[in-house]
Amino acid sequence: MSHSTLKNLSLAATMALAFASTSALAETTINIAGWGAKSGPLRSFGVNSEAVMKAAVARVNETGGIKLKDGSKAKLAFKYHDSACNAEQAIAVARKVASESNALVGIGPTCSGAAAAMFGVFQKKVGDAGDTGLQFPILTDTAVRNGLAKISQWTFRNTPNEPDMYDKLWAWVAANHPNLKTIYGGTETDQGHSNGTYSKVIVQAATRHGFKWSKGNIEGLSGKLASGFKNVLASSSNWLQADTNFSVQARAFRRSGADIYIISSHPFTTCGMLKELKRQRATPKLLIGLTSSSSQEVMKGCAAEAEGMIIPTSFAPITDMAKEVAALANKNGGDADLHSAAAWENVMIIKQVMESVGVTGQASMVQKERRMIRDGLEALTTTNGLIGKVTRVQDEGEALKPYVFVQAKAGNWVVIHDPR
Amino acid sequence: MNFDHIDIVQSLIDGVLFGSVYALVGLGFTLIFGAMHKLNLAYAASSIAGAYIGLASITIFAVPTVIAFLVGPLAAGLVGLLIYISCFQFMPRNNMLAPLMASIGALFFIDELIIDKTAGSPITFPVLLPDAYFPVGEFGFRGDLLFVTFASFVLMGVIVFMLYRTKMGLATRAASQQPVASLLCGIPTHRTNSTVFVLAGVLGGVAGCLAAAAVGVLSPLLTLPLTVKGLIVAVIGGLGSIRGAIAAGFMIGALENLFLLFRGVNERDIYVFLVLFLFLVVRPNGIFGTSIDRD
Amino acid sequence: MEYYLGITQTIGVHTLLGLSAYVLLLTGQLSLAQVGFFAIGSYVSGILTVIFGWHILPALLVGALVAGFFAFLVGFPALRVKGLMLVVATIAFSEIVRLVFFNVNWRVEVNGLEVGPDSTQGFREIRYFAANGWEQAHVVLLIWLIVILVMVLLWWLDKVRAGAVLRAVGEDELAAQSSGVNLTMVKVAAMTGGGVIAGIAGGLFAHSTTYVDHHTFSILLATFAVSYPILGGLKNVLGTLMAVIFIQGFIIEGLRFMGDYRNILFGLLIIVAMNFRPQGLVDGNFTSDLRKLLRMNQKRGGIDA
Repeated sequence: MSHSTLKNLSLAATMALAFASTSALAETTINIAGWGAKSGPLRSFGVNSEAVMKAAVARVNETGGIKLKDGSKAKLAFKYHDSACNAEQAIAVARKVASESNALVGIGPTCSGAAAAMFGVFQKKVGDAGDTGLQFPILTDTAVRNGLAKISQWTFRNTPNEPDMYDKLWAWVAANHPNLKTIYGGTETDQGHSNGTYSKVIVQAATRHGFKWSKGNIEGLSGKLASGFKNVLASSSNWLQADTNFSVQARAFRRSGADIYIISSHPFTTCGMLKELKRQRATPKLLIGLTSSSSQEVMKGCAAEAEGMIIPTSFAPITDMAKEVAALANKNGGDADLHSAAAWENVMIIKQVMESVGVTGQASMVQKERRMIRDGLEALTTTNGLIGKVTRVQDEGEALKPYVFVQAKAGNWVVIHDPR
Repeated sequence: MNFDHIDIVQSLIDGVLFGSVYALVGLGFTLIFGAMHKLNLAYAASSIAGAYIGLASITIFAVPTVIAFLVGPLAAGLVGLLIYISCFQFMPRNNMLAPLMASIGALFFIDELIIDKTAGSPITFPVLLPDAYFPVGEFGFRGDLLFVTFASFVLMGVIVFMLYRTKMGLATRAASQQPVASLLCGIPTHRTNSTVFVLAGVLGGVAGCLAAAAVGVLSPLLTLPLTVKGLIVAVIGGLGSIRGAIAAGFMIGALENLFLLFRGVNERDIYVFLVLFLFLVVRPNGIFGTSIDRD
Repeated sequence: MEYYLGITQTIGVHTLLGLSAYVLLLTGQLSLAQVGFFAIGSYVSGILTVIFGWHILPALLVGALVAGFFAFLVGFPALRVKGLMLVVATIAFSEIVRLVFFNVNWRVEVNGLEVGPDSTQGFREIRYFAANGWEQAHVVLLIWLIVILVMVLLWWLDKVRAGAVLRAVGEDELAAQSSGVNLTMVKVAAMTGGGVIAGIAGGLFAHSTTYVDHHTFSILLATFAVSYPILGGLKNVLGTLMAVIFIQGFIIEGLRFMGDYRNILFGLLIIVAMNFRPQGLVDGNFTSDLRKLLRMNQKRGGIDA
């Protein structure tokens, strides 16, 4: 090879490089991050959440991407991390995303315990110079335990509001089943969400709407949120998350003679408990479940025994958009349910906020734009959800989502009441 | 929770019957300990793995339920053999920590493999004799649990027969008591040990399938509680004692239900562990005092 | 940077947890009770800073002492059981501690906010560090000062008679006893020491993650605690540190992109490691090799100069 050809070649290479870099500049990307449990027994949560998020990001890019401050368009890119169901790992991912990437906002984590820990390392009050917590906006999709978002002003959630849903559910039951009077129930006590929602929300809402505990009054239970919750737990028939023997508990249900049974647990023990109830021929006139049991897992685990169970949920494939999201999630190897469907809404909310506050996608602006997005999230009063308008609870960073009541019928969740 | 004598008796009945699952798992732990004086923490995981493989044979190859209940234990026996080879066979004989640690590795490996394949979701497991329920007066006996109890007695009989009436059993007992001397007598220690692992694995597979059938759902969440309960049963029965493990299994099943009834689910397991401590202090050699069965 | 400082904190906390099991392993006791002491340390120090508004240092100290006290109490009955019985008994102890904290509900209003352990809902907002303006680097400094202190202490212990006594009990109890070693004292002392170290680790853990609940303190964490020294080897304290860096730094953090495959790989790696290095990664050969290497370098350095 002669000297001149070498020179030419290197010239061409330099030009190609220069060209490549200019074209990369023209194509700005905006990064976001997601994380949740993709390992451990709660892997399905992360798998579902990622599947829905992937579909949502693809949709944003198909429809032109994110409109930047200067009017040009940018692609949205996302990366999903596995943080197991573990506090240390959720915190590590949050720090990694905040300090080692250009991501402007995060969606996650999936487990409430991991979320409670992670939110704790964030700055509690915005602009508090004495607080060295992390400054990075989060919009959580799955972790549903009551009251988490208020741990930090940087953390927001788009998760179902159970106090509201169960209030409406019991009003509906009272109106539609006027002959049913008494209730009895139980929960998996070592699961924070099941336990908290049962003892502080569901039973109180039922009391508020005139239902009576079948085995006499519970001291301190007034119908107000969380009233007498310790006594509620003591009066109920409970089990643990990994229990396999439900005979004693099921018998207490049967002997309570209540019209309505409340089973507040996640799919594994919901199925175990329902099977034992059926075996002992304990048949209530109505069965009420926990929001998280309205997923496909109960249908895979015990469709026959769950027949007739009523659950309020913030997601059901009842609109065209919701149907489409459910189909896209399946295509990506996951399910859209009341937890994961929120990931779609979150991506759309983030797009909306980014376009309204005007982001630039420049590396030097990252920290400033994170703050702008946080302020934008806080300023939102309503957003468009998959099944209707979502109202934001301003000072708490929580959402009031539209809901429907679904009932298990022949292996499917069927919408029986749609108050939208 | 309010309760009366009917509740108490019925919980005892259910507890004893369900205790048969604990008895089988405890028996497996005790057999392995008896043979090698080592602890296999992956044992309950291999039992659950067996149940999953049995279930897979139904969902993938559409075999009848009965066949699945045979496939499950056999697969668990194979898993047991693999655990022996990977975690025990090549370890120095006097090193207790290395094989224990390796079996913890096997526990993680098996659990996470199951989770990877099923996303951790609970899956329906075929119920044995779903309609068999025998009412006796005010009480009732679950048909499937009666079957489990019966099966565990048969299995115990088989194990005792194999250990005391066959050449293989004699070799196993010899290898357990005097590993070096038995090796010098020409007893292939590795073969007797691997036989014990397969045997214990099959037992565990039966327990795994039966537990899954009794609750009707299979989930990787079952591994840890079965491991802990199985260990407690093996220790209360006296490590290495076969009849001790069986008796302790039924006892723990019954006590567990009573504690649940009297003290509620949040304190139930605290009392179970206190019973363990009581035994460690009062009868450290197990229910029947001396571990005459094996040593 | 925040990220790497965070990982350094995690590695420090887990090293302390591993060292607490290491002390007991030297005396031949395999204890899964360390996670119980760890839990006691977390809850006690967390309650002190959150509900009583204490400074972190006395809170850590009291947490460690309370954990050590319980370890002291556990030490005596634990003497009665050996080997595998001890494994099971200590599992039961850890589970009892976990279940007790699962039932603890102590909610207090502090500055208009309800705080404190809330049974299953967990113990939220143990935010001492962030709320008091501690940078990540300060937290790292605190944790690692303690880690280094404990490591130096244990290293020194190994050089004096006390270490020889510990190891003698671990190698052969009968022989140690017949040469005049007080078994009770040695074992209870090891248990107490291990409890104090686990208690400090727990306090640091609660404050660096800001949240604990009973799920945190499962048998799984107890197996991790013993895995570190066993995988690393009992030759010296560096083995434990190396194992923690390998597991927490490499497998869990470094391989995060592999998702759940890293857990499958983790299980496999433990099996392989134990088959090829049953004495742990840092065994006698490793340290003597290292020493030889160092000596050789010194020699060569001398010739070159």
